[in-house]
Amino acid sequence: MTEGIQNVSKPQIKVENLNLWYGEKQALKNVSMNIPKNSITALIGPSGCGKSTFIRCLNRMNDLINNCKIEGKVTIESDNIYGPDVDVVDLRKSVGMVFQKPNPFPMSIYDNVAYGPRIHGANRKDLDGIVEQALHSAAIWDEVSDRLKSPALSLSGGQQQRLCIARTLAVKPKIILFDEPTSALDPISTLRIEDLTMNLKKDYTIVIVTHNMQQAARISDYTGFFLMGELIEFGQTKQIFQNPREKSTEDYITGRFG
Amino acid sequence: MTREQYVKQLDLLKESVLSLGEMVELIFRDSMTSVINLDVKLAEKTLALEPEVDKLEEDIEASVFDLLALQQPMASDLRLVVSTLKITADLRRIVGLSINIAKIPGRMEGGHVKPLIDTKKMADAAAFMLENSLKAFEAQDVELARTAAKRDEEVDKLFYAVWVELIEMMAKDTSIISRATNLLFLIRYLERIADHCCNICESVVYLATAERVKLN
Repeated sequence: MTEGIQNVSKPQIKVENLNLWYGEKQALKNVSMNIPKNSITALIGPSGCGKSTFIRCLNRMNDLINNCKIEGKVTIESDNIYGPDVDVVDLRKSVGMVFQKPNPFPMSIYDNVAYGPRIHGANRKDLDGIVEQALHSAAIWDEVSDRLKSPALSLSGGQQQRLCIARTLAVKPKIILFDEPTSALDPISTLRIEDLTMNLKKDYTIVIVTHNMQQAARISDYTGFFLMGELIEFGQTKQIFQNPREKSTEDYITGRFG
Repeated sequence: MTREQYVKQLDLLKESVLSLGEMVELIFRDSMTSVINLDVKLAEKTLALEPEVDKLEEDIEASVFDLLALQQPMASDLRLVVSTLKITADLRRIVGLSINIAKIPGRMEGGHVKPLIDTKKMADAAAFMLENSLKAFEAQDVELARTAAKRDEEVDKLFYAVWVELIEMMAKDTSIISRATNLLFLIRYLERIADHCCNICESVVYLATAERVKLN
């Protein structure tokens, strides 16, 4: 899709002619997209349109699915992430992911955040600082600083999600993928996460899948609209929500769909 | 089709603007007729319509706020809602200016100081602009909006011609100053009405294309 390639001089993520099949079923059709650094890109579209499949290609999460075949090229900072010598563990360290349902580990708040740095060999004496900084960046430090040893599962849903973001930040990724990060949260927690993502884009590139179009409109710089595995339209969020080029984008965002 | 109620609300909003437009056309036409014929009765009838316009304007504004607050319109819907608000404001100003025109017959004693030939031409051009800007809004017709706005040049030219003529007449005969000043105001009102029609045409272009243009 040529619509996906906008004028970005040096995209951090460059996706070219990506095709993906789950067995016989083609889930992504020739998707191309340039994602600039330090931006928020929102992916919208109806259920089953391929948007989650697409972001899962950006850190090779689809590798874990049987019968999944991928063609095309995904380049992150000039590295082909599907190249033969790519260490997938390293890739997922630099491309972090936050999921729909908060999924803290059944351990303490501290250990949740320290988990990643520990397995990546962080020095013991650095851990306290790393944990504190990640919790600060995830805007949850003030709420948990006096109970770092409490179980993470004792936190509210919104706090758990911010803890999961802290856990992602602790391994110092470059890119963070959010797969519907607020669909299980109440409106206030949702707005907190939205504020957080907008603060995080100073230091990270963010790609977010959301069913909430107002959320996409509020927080993102770029929006991509997927339909039946195709990237129908990609552009600046303002343009997509005020003057989409494609009729199907217009129909979807105005709710005239189906 | 999903969101049937919402689509109906948008259609109703558009219809209310068109009804307001019809009323504005009537008020403008009658105000001009009243001033040309110095028909005080028709002028009074016209002045009495203002509260009805206010009511329609309020209703449109309320629908716009409801839609924005409750339905979060996007894309062309958003442009429709925003354009509606702007067009309504321009139509309301045209009514205000027409009301000023309809007040002239009541203070004109002794008839016009000259035959209203160019002034009538200005009024005809403004009426054309008003009618077609509303048609363009209804059909989201960019070409028609541009055609309607184009007539503003003619209105401006006539405005300056009549203005110069009236100033010269007043310089020659000071006894006509009061009556001639009423005419000066009249042509100024007409010139402003044409400008508001241009604004409506600009809103139509934005509604149809999302492009912001200057048409006058």
